[in-house]
Amino acid sequence: MNGLWPLLLLLGSTPPAPAPAADDGKLPASLEALFEEKGKDGKPILGDGERAYLKKLPLHTRELIGKDVEALAVGGASHLKALLALELPSQGAAIVFSDNCILCHTDPESQKKIHLFSADPKATGSAEHLNLKSFVSDVHFRRGLSCSGCHGGSPEKDVMTPDINARWPKPEVRHVDRTWIPEFCARCHGDPSFMRGFNPSLPTDQLSKYRESQHGILLLKEKDSKAAQCVSCHGVHGIRGPKSRQSLVHPQAIPETCGRCHADPKYMAGYKRDDGTPLPTDQLEAFKKSVHGKALLEKGDLGAPACNDCHGNHAAMPPKVSSVSQVCRTCHSQNGTFFDGSKHKQAFEANRWPECEKCHGKHGIAKATDDLISDAHDGLCGSCHAEHAKDNPECNATARYFRSSLGELVTTTERLRPQAENLAERGLDAEPILASLEEAGEAIVQTRSRVHTFDRGGFDQGAKVGREAVSKTEALLEAARKEQRYRRNGLLVSIGLMAFLAVVMGLKIRDLSRRRERTSKDPGNR
Amino acid sequence: MIEARPEGAPGTVGERLYRWLDARFGVSKVVEFARHKEVPVGGHSMVWYYLGGTTLFFFAVQVVSGVLLLMYYQPGEATSYESIRYITTKVPFGWLIRSVHCWSAHLMILSLVVHMFSTMILKAYRKPRELTWVTGFVLFAIALGFGFSGYLLPWNELAFFATAVGTDSVKSVPIIGQWLLEVMRGGPDVTINTLYRFFALHIVILPLVMLGIVSAHLLFIQVQGMAPGMAHQRPDRPGLKFFPDFLLRDLLLWLVCLILLAVLVYLLPYGPGIPGMEWELGKKANPLAPAYPGIKPEWYFLWVYQLLKEFPPHLAGMEGPQAALLVVTVLMGIWALVPWLDRRASKGKPSPRFTDLAIAAIIFMAYLTLKAWDIGGNAQPGKLPDPRSTAWVCAWITLGIASVIALVRLLAYRQRWMYFSGAALLQVVLNGVFGVDYLLAGAVAVVVAVAGVVMTSRKDPAVQLGVPK
Repeated sequence: MNGLWPLLLLLGSTPPAPAPAADDGKLPASLEALFEEKGKDGKPILGDGERAYLKKLPLHTRELIGKDVEALAVGGASHLKALLALELPSQGAAIVFSDNCILCHTDPESQKKIHLFSADPKATGSAEHLNLKSFVSDVHFRRGLSCSGCHGGSPEKDVMTPDINARWPKPEVRHVDRTWIPEFCARCHGDPSFMRGFNPSLPTDQLSKYRESQHGILLLKEKDSKAAQCVSCHGVHGIRGPKSRQSLVHPQAIPETCGRCHADPKYMAGYKRDDGTPLPTDQLEAFKKSVHGKALLEKGDLGAPACNDCHGNHAAMPPKVSSVSQVCRTCHSQNGTFFDGSKHKQAFEANRWPECEKCHGKHGIAKATDDLISDAHDGLCGSCHAEHAKDNPECNATARYFRSSLGELVTTTERLRPQAENLAERGLDAEPILASLEEAGEAIVQTRSRVHTFDRGGFDQGAKVGREAVSKTEALLEAARKEQRYRRNGLLVSIGLMAFLAVVMGLKIRDLSRRRERTSKDPGNR
Repeated sequence: MIEARPEGAPGTVGERLYRWLDARFGVSKVVEFARHKEVPVGGHSMVWYYLGGTTLFFFAVQVVSGVLLLMYYQPGEATSYESIRYITTKVPFGWLIRSVHCWSAHLMILSLVVHMFSTMILKAYRKPRELTWVTGFVLFAIALGFGFSGYLLPWNELAFFATAVGTDSVKSVPIIGQWLLEVMRGGPDVTINTLYRFFALHIVILPLVMLGIVSAHLLFIQVQGMAPGMAHQRPDRPGLKFFPDFLLRDLLLWLVCLILLAVLVYLLPYGPGIPGMEWELGKKANPLAPAYPGIKPEWYFLWVYQLLKEFPPHLAGMEGPQAALLVVTVLMGIWALVPWLDRRASKGKPSPRFTDLAIAAIIFMAYLTLKAWDIGGNAQPGKLPDPRSTAWVCAWITLGIASVIALVRLLAYRQRWMYFSGAALLQVVLNGVFGVDYLLAGAVAVVVAVAGVVMTSRKDPAVQLGVPK
């Protein structure tokens, strides 16, 4: 045991392993040299801002940039300044400075305008799809997929290899014939095992859906390259997920994205519907004015439908007569159920009328009001019934009954609400009254929905609840008014008594004062 | 008058009872004192003598209505708001009691403030009544404490955030500010512990202190009598008998106050709807909810609230609120020590400077209060009122009020010493009409006031002070 002492002493005296040198933010010499470079105005091109940004980068990224400068992949101070202006996080900077495709195609000294990526395309005269800022915020770039992912080639090599663009048709073909695009994107997006590594929840059936869509049929079967494909809707070099407000497929952007083609009469010229009539181009304008368009675009209600909610996304098709009502039912299911049990269902099927659309329209659906229910010959019900139902008096009476019942419920609740609020201001307990009014309001919503039963019995199931709520509200209001009268009468009686007492006291005080005056004038009477 | 006869002598039941009590407690001495007690007449209007009584009356209403509320109120996170709601909606006459309690609280403070200012202007604080003034000042502070502590008890949104803002200003006290804040709140934030503290303060601590000091205040008045008019005001009539002449008038006024209270409670059960004077229950307090917009304290704190707003974040090495509270403390200190500062009044001589000081205080507080109400600010929903146009309108209103007061003083009372009120008005005009910074305008006003004091001190005070010859 004693023999171990020298060893222990030796271990004890072993100097500790040297700690890794602290990163002092020093820049490689090649980078420092660029800070000396001056512009045409004689001032240094790179300044304190660039130095501060570089110092914040990890050591290995700074060294990477230093090597790029040495290898002339970064062509000079101006080139570096343009890249640093992107203010990328360190991971993004590492991708950019290790990718020779990006480094070459961002160097204004070596690239023509048609190949030059720029943070400000207008200033450099580059095309908008070469916007460098958009490119570095692209959903693919942010997951590490850069130029070579689509274009091919080897970004680590400092020369362009022949395999670049080899996956694509030749330029003179690919810019005219766009049929290759869906298949090309599906190389990744149609491969579940590949996509699972990036976003497991993302569907991979887009291509199969697209083939079935009107766009897919036109492009892939009829070889019509005007038909929309992936790039038409998602863009290129700046693709973002649908939740991004800047995405072309964000719910609030979709109407405009679809409208880029469908609202352009020149572009859509020649396209026809099944019946041979020209495809209209007024859908976008009509949608913007519709209840759905206003909710989505003006109120920002992302629950309101955009084009894709009714027509589908990748499987976009105009819904057929048989399915249009099912599309509406995805949100308005209760109205659909009431309609299914109504007399109208059979008549609509017999005439092959689209159900909801017949009364409410399609792209320009207006907010449904009680005024829609009208048996007048120019009214919604009356105009159709005059033509197809021989002006059936029973139906007309039912329409009038619906309208008058709803009108009565609405006007009564509107009349009662201020009364309740007035009583609340006077200190009475208005909470049960307001709750009862809420019940009435809810019943009105239900009753309006029950109009779609087109039957008095069905309608009355909702109206009855509304009438009961109104009666209950009136009873509560009457009780509150009674309480208010009781308080007022109580106050009047109390004030009367107190005023009487005050008068008596006043008289007593006057009497006392007079006595005092008499006493003071005639002290002998004291 | 019951004759002084031996205890067992024959007489009515009342007479015998009186003699029985007299033999044991010497009641006849008290009766004799009351018989000779008089209220001075002729020095000035009698109205000012009744204000202490009305304040006492409203305090009595507070005690009675407060005790009734206490029968149903349950302090606690899950019960405070609910019990107040229960009181106002379910308990028979609960709405009446709560509304009476709230209205009476405001009327008590109003009556107290008018009482204090009348005492100041009439110099009733002068020797030998210095301690009556001081106890009155303490009662005023306690009344404010009642208002502040009672405000939180319904545990509704408005009360919660107003208390959070109000207690936060305590932080400005040097050295012990944070400690004081935590003592007040029962922790760093306003929680239910704060409510427990405020509840104890509101129903036990403050009432006990109030009772003691009110007793002392009343005792001093009984011993020294009500302050007669100043010597130069020459009382021209014999005094008014306190029993029953004055007492009957007092009771009559109390009855009128009760009628007023009943009418107000019926017509405006939740107050007049002026910020700082409304008590609709609203929503229950939610500490996680965003701060209630436009929180303002009760109307009697509004001038301090506005003064805090007028100060910049930092001033003379101090934080803005700290400097503002220092100013308030100094002003309050001067106010409390007035009986000793006003040496002329203590000698029975006219003291127009202190009359003017009271008027200046009214102008100073009126302008700040009007500004705090955002009068003339054209506030729109979701838009803040414009402070410049608020200042402009409030300055003109204050100018109007001050001009009327000055005219009345000049024509009816021939008062000419107006340097303090003039300086206060100068600050209002500079700030409101010409847009000069409030503090800078204040500094100019202080210089003017000091110059006025110095200039008039050199000359014959009897001439300068507008004393009738």
